[in-house]
Amino acid sequence: MKHERSTSTATLSQDEVVTEKSWNVVVWDDPVTPMPVVALIFRKIFGYSNNKATQLMMTVHHQGRAIVWSGSRDRAEGYCVKLQANGLLSTVEQDS
Amino acid sequence: MARSKVFIQRKDGRIEVRIASDAREFLKSVIDQLIAAESDSAHPWHGTLHSPITPSADSDDPLRSFERQKMTATSAELMRLTLDESFLSQDEAFAWLASMQLGLRARTSEAAIFTDDDLAQADEASLQTIRALQSFLFELATTLS
Repeated sequence: MKHERSTSTATLSQDEVVTEKSWNVVVWDDPVTPMPVVALIFRKIFGYSNNKATQLMMTVHHQGRAIVWSGSRDRAEGYCVKLQANGLLSTVEQDS
Repeated sequence: MARSKVFIQRKDGRIEVRIASDAREFLKSVIDQLIAAESDSAHPWHGTLHSPITPSADSDDPLRSFERQKMTATSAELMRLTLDESFLSQDEAFAWLASMQLGLRARTSEAAIFTDDDLAQADEASLQTIRALQSFLFELATTLS
């Protein structure tokens, strides 16, 4: 009995790991947004340092997209909404 | 001769705005379109303001969509209210930044400009609007940074 209980707990724990994948906030490149605008919005919304915001902005520019934040779905969607309301092209996706 | 700055950071934290009346009229037309597009699903800018949040989901959380709508409308209304001002608070300046950036993206989408090649082939009227908004955005972002 004791053994069964610990097995199901282990299974439950395993399930929890599987279902708790991170959600990523992705920012996509566009051909018109000035670079300082992107970096400034990252600093304002996430509180990132100038260096980190600039680095993420350059990733968006060179790679076409960048994951700018990862975590719970609720917070990811909240950040995505803020980015969109500031005019950046952003979506939320689950970590693969 | 170097072009003089139109957004200037003052020591008291305010942003001085030195924009000519014709440029303010131009910005007013952008903001008026933004405000109209928010509630009018037939407006060509509406799609940009209502893009998907989580594309893999069947539908987005309506509360999130409402939250975005509220933020967009608040910024646009604040910019509209302060359009004739000579000095802006930091919050007002960020409302200008958000609204001009939304206007830029919406105008670009309306002109079907999604890549650098599209931009290179864009019509002159679209390019004039885009360049004007880019110029204001670049300078305001640099001033606020």
